[in-house]
Amino acid sequence: MKPFEFVTALSTESARELLGPKGQYLAGGNDLLGRLKDDITEANRLVNIKALPGLDRIEPGADHWRIGALVTIAQIEDHPEIRKVFPGLHQAAAEVGSQQIRNVATLGGNLAQHSRCWYYRHRDIQCLKKRGRICYAIEGDNRYHALFTGNVCISPVVSNLAIALTALDATAIVLRDGQERRMSMAELYELAWDNPTAHHSLRPGDLILRVEIPTQRRRSAYLQISEKHAFDWALVSCAAAANLENGRLRNVRVALGCISPVPHQVAAANQFLEGKAPDDDVLDHAADLLLAGAEPQTHNAYKIPMARALIRRTLRQLQA
Amino acid sequence: MKGSETPSTGRLSRRDFFKGLGTTALAAAASQAESVAQELQKINAEKVLGPGPVPVTLKVNGKTHKLELEPRVTLLDALRNHLGLTGPKEGCDRASCGACTVWLDGVTIYACQKLAIDAQGHEITTVEGLTPDGRLTPVQRAFVERDALQCGYCTPGFVMSVSALLRKNPRPTVEDVRHACAGNLCRCGTHPRILEAALVAAGLPPVSTTRTEVINHV
Amino acid sequence: MSEWPAQPKVLGTRVPRVDGPAKVTGQARYSSDIQAPGLLIGMILRSPWPAARIQRINLEKARQMPGIKAAVAVQEGPRIVRYYGEELAAVAGVSRQACEDALRAIEVEAEPLPFVVREEDARKPDAPRVWEQAPNMPPPRVREEGNVDEALKECAAVIEGFYTTSVQLHHPMETHGGTVRWDDEGVTAWISTQGIFSVRDGLAGALRLDQSKVRVVTEYMGGGFGSKFGPGVEGVLAARLAREAGAPVRLMLSRFEEALAVGNRPSSFQRIRLGAKADGTLHVFDYENYGTAGVGAGQATEGGGGGADLPMPYIYRVPNRRIKQTTVAVNAGSSRAFRAPGHPVASFGMESAMDDLAVKLGMDPLELRIKNDPSEIRQREYRIGAERFGWKEKYRKPGSSPGPIKVGVGVASATWGGGGSSRTQGEIQINPDGTVEVRLGVQDIGTGTRTVAAVTAAEVLGLAPDQVTVKIGDTRYPPGPGSGGSVTAASVAPTVYDVCTRALEELQKQTGLPDVRGENWRAACKKLGVTPLVVQGRWREGLSSSGVGGVQFAEVAVDTETGLVTVRKIVVVQDCGLIVDPLTAESQVNGGVIMGIGLALYEERVMDWQSGVVLNPNFETYKLPGIADVPEIDIVLINMPERGVIGLGEPVHIPTAAAIANAVANALGVRVNSLPITPRKVLAALGKVPTAKA
Repeated sequence: MKPFEFVTALSTESARELLGPKGQYLAGGNDLLGRLKDDITEANRLVNIKALPGLDRIEPGADHWRIGALVTIAQIEDHPEIRKVFPGLHQAAAEVGSQQIRNVATLGGNLAQHSRCWYYRHRDIQCLKKRGRICYAIEGDNRYHALFTGNVCISPVVSNLAIALTALDATAIVLRDGQERRMSMAELYELAWDNPTAHHSLRPGDLILRVEIPTQRRRSAYLQISEKHAFDWALVSCAAAANLENGRLRNVRVALGCISPVPHQVAAANQFLEGKAPDDDVLDHAADLLLAGAEPQTHNAYKIPMARALIRRTLRQLQA
Repeated sequence: MKGSETPSTGRLSRRDFFKGLGTTALAAAASQAESVAQELQKINAEKVLGPGPVPVTLKVNGKTHKLELEPRVTLLDALRNHLGLTGPKEGCDRASCGACTVWLDGVTIYACQKLAIDAQGHEITTVEGLTPDGRLTPVQRAFVERDALQCGYCTPGFVMSVSALLRKNPRPTVEDVRHACAGNLCRCGTHPRILEAALVAAGLPPVSTTRTEVINHV
Repeated sequence: MSEWPAQPKVLGTRVPRVDGPAKVTGQARYSSDIQAPGLLIGMILRSPWPAARIQRINLEKARQMPGIKAAVAVQEGPRIVRYYGEELAAVAGVSRQACEDALRAIEVEAEPLPFVVREEDARKPDAPRVWEQAPNMPPPRVREEGNVDEALKECAAVIEGFYTTSVQLHHPMETHGGTVRWDDEGVTAWISTQGIFSVRDGLAGALRLDQSKVRVVTEYMGGGFGSKFGPGVEGVLAARLAREAGAPVRLMLSRFEEALAVGNRPSSFQRIRLGAKADGTLHVFDYENYGTAGVGAGQATEGGGGGADLPMPYIYRVPNRRIKQTTVAVNAGSSRAFRAPGHPVASFGMESAMDDLAVKLGMDPLELRIKNDPSEIRQREYRIGAERFGWKEKYRKPGSSPGPIKVGVGVASATWGGGGSSRTQGEIQINPDGTVEVRLGVQDIGTGTRTVAAVTAAEVLGLAPDQVTVKIGDTRYPPGPGSGGSVTAASVAPTVYDVCTRALEELQKQTGLPDVRGENWRAACKKLGVTPLVVQGRWREGLSSSGVGGVQFAEVAVDTETGLVTVRKIVVVQDCGLIVDPLTAESQVNGGVIMGIGLALYEERVMDWQSGVVLNPNFETYKLPGIADVPEIDIVLINMPERGVIGLGEPVHIPTAAAIANAVANALGVRVNSLPITPRKVLAALGKVPTAKA
């Protein structure tokens, strides 16, 4: 890594100020330190935000829960009540990395992580996302890349928690220039849809404070498929949340990960599923709606049947 | 969930860690560690350090070390090259293989992806810290007896992962062991035996995924 | 005539590794754990170009950086580099940070050249040449026997298949490199190696030193799998840096570098036509293969063979055969021997063809093998394994398992040598207090060499293994072979047998006692007075041999909706002569099988054709099997004491991938003919993947 200064902030105001033009926030550090080691990211100063007060709490509530951005993935996974109230979130957390990663990785860091595209992550490739000339994945090896994009970069969002939280209709509270802004998961990532150099909608200096999750949907599930059985990035992930009344889905939300720069949701699919019992025909049609308009690249068309299988299984799991 | 009640944040505090070990000497050290951490917080809070070497105090295996390190020095680098420890090893330097697994306040982390300066105020335990008197722990004995090692390079990391699991969950299932060890890689193929050793060390029947019969030819 | 005891007391019992405690406590010292006063860190600058003419390397700024004590170029003057990651220069400094900063300060003037990194591109006549003096792909070497074209007409069934494998990386957990120190006596190098004497030889040559001035010490090393025999460019650089700096240098490669420049298993593109008579007798084998050994392949390097050649038709005898093999050079790191070089890939090609032929003949694939396999030991192993595995109950016609999770079974076999080196020597020191030290100039690459020696010594001397101290890994000890070819156990055991037998004779002679073993030991040793007894010996005939078989059965479950393959069970039936320690032998089996699972399902080095770089130089995207990927492994070891000690480290890795590939084909009713078998390929083989955009 290139040399940098290190400072521990005690308030969000000073954290913002200490950041300066070329600073980076340091929480768990799993993503940031990896990027610094490979010169993907430049930073002349790291601002340690782990001492900021009040951001490491899990606060249950009748209508919604608040989970602080500094809560670790391990804490989310281990929390017995989260497992009951938001099983999809628990499942997503359990699949993040390894125990060693979950013990230090934070909710905020997981949501804000950068692309894992192997061209982006390569120290000797200047791709479009790094303000280079071209997206190498388009003509290159794009087996892990997106089926949907609003711009030229085909790197997909890979945060497990983003997908689970999308299905749960969660809201991120982001501190920007001293003001708290509420962002849906869609809003948290929408900039990455249009802008090839963006990983999400956060601007330099923005700080995720917490996530609020409504308890409205009593059932939720998350599944992913990877090449290995554990400790592997998902090829495709799927999250669903809903209520079940007399065997029929209510307030249903389905989201897919790893196939788009943003958590992939289709309003028509959610509408279609509303009030229906999740039988085979219904699930098939929902998959049709969710994957309509998918544009596979040379090597990633397999994600389509894989996504269809995940959609079926995730929705069926809501009945369990 | 399995195990005892979880504190409010679910995070294991330094006090809980030492309570689990249950010795008075360590309890005294714990309160010292807490006040050290508070002091550090006060001294260092919002003071910009580096980029050149700055004082970094690390508490490793119960001993306090004062070092001069650049902020960009990782905990693994500090442990191996500044403190001369050999247990935690470098396998990838990218939080993907587990050879550098140590405990931070009793839970496993990758030392390679933690800055030393960011590890101040915490209790760091390496494999050397499991056996201060040189006697093998039940986990280590089980590893040796079950041959859960070959070249041995990944072994300290696995010992730390399995030992951490058993502290948190004294009666793990096979799935629990796999989940705890998924972040440790081994190229020699010791996994079936690590599974056995973990269960044996927990006093459980060694559900083995390897079964062997030696038959004589004639 | 020498013989192992008919009723051994220690040999063949389950003895825990004698170096286990050192490893589980982190006390074992590997090459990167060596401390020395004034130790510096070394780091290498590598080519970011897949091909370039290097005109000038300017080290001046780097030399001036704080904390830097030495800087060297790999070679003076202009030169051509031929792959991304080829070594250019190196620095030594007081810390990693100092070295990282110094590498950034090295100025390289280079002219990028055209390059090619994919086999299919490199074969084309107009492809950029990896070596300017010759085309990338020489005309194939052809071996012919019988009359293939006529024989094809005589077959009741002929199949044609195209089976491919990817480049596989060794990725030992400990990277390459070591610590080197100069002193008045010469050079001491603690190198992570499988061959202390080949390293000594390599260093002495490169540094122009007498061999007697070079000492190599490797007490512990973290795996090699064939890639760690010589000092490597990194070992020589470490020595040069240490000489220039006047201080010891530790230079260990990073994981990133391991993916670029320290060896790999060549890829393969095997076109096979296999035909048989109606009763299943193999009649014709028509074979073409090319693979890449990186810059080590191609016409310019013919002499080296490139390592991409495969021993075909592997274990089977076919009267009419035509075998055409060549290699294709690409701008990527050269191949090196990798655990049973050639065999796992040959087994995959041949055994896949056998299963495809069995399907066409309507025959049970196991029956087809029993019909055609000339090896008596493997015939035995098929029967033992089939019963253990439940082949008759489990085998069903391909694709007949009810979905969506389809279960399938497969079988494949191995052949290997594994004999010992007659040039192995050893010595024993017996102290008057009864303690014993055996010294051997061999390595332990994770196989349990010390334990083999301790068990053998204990058996001969009538002691317990933990009463014997074994010292290995020092070129000052009597020499032994490098640990390759699965020769170490078969070299060590007969040598230790000889050394200890001679020691017994000497001790008996010197003390006048007729039997000094077991209970008499201490009293006998005491009679030595103050002078220990040191006895030397060498490898002895009759206690080891060469040639093993090995059969593996695989059961898999394939999720036909997601493409994920799960290996449920592997049954291994392996002979290895006299089993010295079943505990460590089983661990070798586990290791070979798990590495085979990696070859079958997860591992491939991916090159980017646009930039020429390795796209997956890390563990995140070069995937090794983890604990959750490991199936039930059921092992039958056949103890054959009359054959003496034979190695088993490599044979147990040979047929696993082939058996798994066959099991997947059996499950699906259609074959994924390319390794690794990833979900993407399974879904494509099932016809579930829509055609991609043009």
